[in-house]
Amino acid sequence: MPARANLHPPVNLDSAEPGSLENEVVALFDQWRGKLLRYTLRIGVTVQDGEEVIQETFLSLFRHLQSGKSRENLQGWLFRVAHNLALRRCQRSRSSPEALDGLDMAAIDPSPGPEAQFSDSQTRERLLAVVHALPEQDRRCLFLRAEGLRYREIAAVLDISLGAVSLSLSRSLARIGRAAER
Amino acid sequence: MLDRNTHPSDEQILLELDGELSASAAKSVRTHLEACWPCRARRQQLERSIADLIRASESDGLLPSAASARERLQARMAELKTLAPERSPRPATQPSRMLHHLAACVLCLLAISWLASRFGFRPRWQHPRTTVLSMPDANLTPGATILLSQNAVCSQANVKNKDVPPSVQRIVFGEYGIEPAQLRSYEVDYLVTPALGGSDDIRNLWPHSYSSTWNARVKDALEDRLREMVCEGKLELSQAQREIATNWIEAYKKYFQTDVPLTEHAKEWH
Repeated sequence: MPARANLHPPVNLDSAEPGSLENEVVALFDQWRGKLLRYTLRIGVTVQDGEEVIQETFLSLFRHLQSGKSRENLQGWLFRVAHNLALRRCQRSRSSPEALDGLDMAAIDPSPGPEAQFSDSQTRERLLAVVHALPEQDRRCLFLRAEGLRYREIAAVLDISLGAVSLSLSRSLARIGRAAER
Repeated sequence: MLDRNTHPSDEQILLELDGELSASAAKSVRTHLEACWPCRARRQQLERSIADLIRASESDGLLPSAASARERLQARMAELKTLAPERSPRPATQPSRMLHHLAACVLCLLAISWLASRFGFRPRWQHPRTTVLSMPDANLTPGATILLSQNAVCSQANVKNKDVPPSVQRIVFGEYGIEPAQLRSYEVDYLVTPALGGSDDIRNLWPHSYSSTWNARVKDALEDRLREMVCEGKLELSQAQREIATNWIEAYKKYFQTDVPLTEHAKEWH
């Protein structure tokens, strides 16, 4: 589905009374959408697939809360669901994340960003190349940590042990450090 | 846990930095660091790596705006709510709800078919020419890129754009409201060419008229020129992407110093 397809009429916002479940989900959407979308793009889905993944994630959240399930650690829950949906999408579109040509950090809107101001663009290139060359699992760990997840949350999203998370992160950071030294 | 002679591993230092150690373990790492310069240097190195990583990934592009996505989510939640009322399904009211939906659908279809007959399927004589598109609609096609480094772009061969799958072409034509009878007048073109790091995202695709003076072949010439300049280090990749996405015709005029397409670029399409 194209990201911009307007399949739904505008919502009558008055129908959702304050404090309703919908409003709670929308508030969580506003809080987490950016981080979740950026993460899904970085692990290799296209922008329109990423947007759809986020929609499905928050609809699942709506159903999850509607059925009275736990509100504990919603951040971890959201990332886990988005991660799994994104991987399923990658498999379906047969562009497995590893098959990406480029660096798996998608950028949209080529407007002058901080990139232009990034003084040492060579360091940046080297660094991105190192990140790209990391094993997939290590890269995901790194991106999840960059979005502010705690180690146990990362472990739950990727279904690996806590020890594997810290080992992976310190390994990746060591490689990044070596690349910057050169 | 750590005596004076055993140094903490990189992993332990990172765990300490990230606040992932128990209070007592964190304390013993900190006590060690206070006394040990080499380990402090290692911690600093770790922090520098984190800073570098964050700085490099800050240049990821802007995300599309949340507004329309939020609206879509609200509509879909409202829909879910009507289709599956919370917990206690009320069989008695369900059919009437479905009737409502059905009625709404029928009304929508009627409205759409009326609009289509009113605007879409106008008699041919009212449409003597197809709309000539030389520039994309910036709202529909702002351009989209994969964040490739200059090296990565230039180390790939300058390949011809791969064909856009028919399913995606249909979406592009649909967005631009191009009627089926006119499809042959357009080529679905990349705004930022993949050879310059453009992605195959729908936001980077638009229907380009074959018949335009500023046709796809002219644009190809510009793309080759820009790529050459980028790979020779005369132009920043991000600038090339920006100029082509903003107004490729202006970019052509600028880089070829001409107001009209050069004859060698403006060969006729057939």
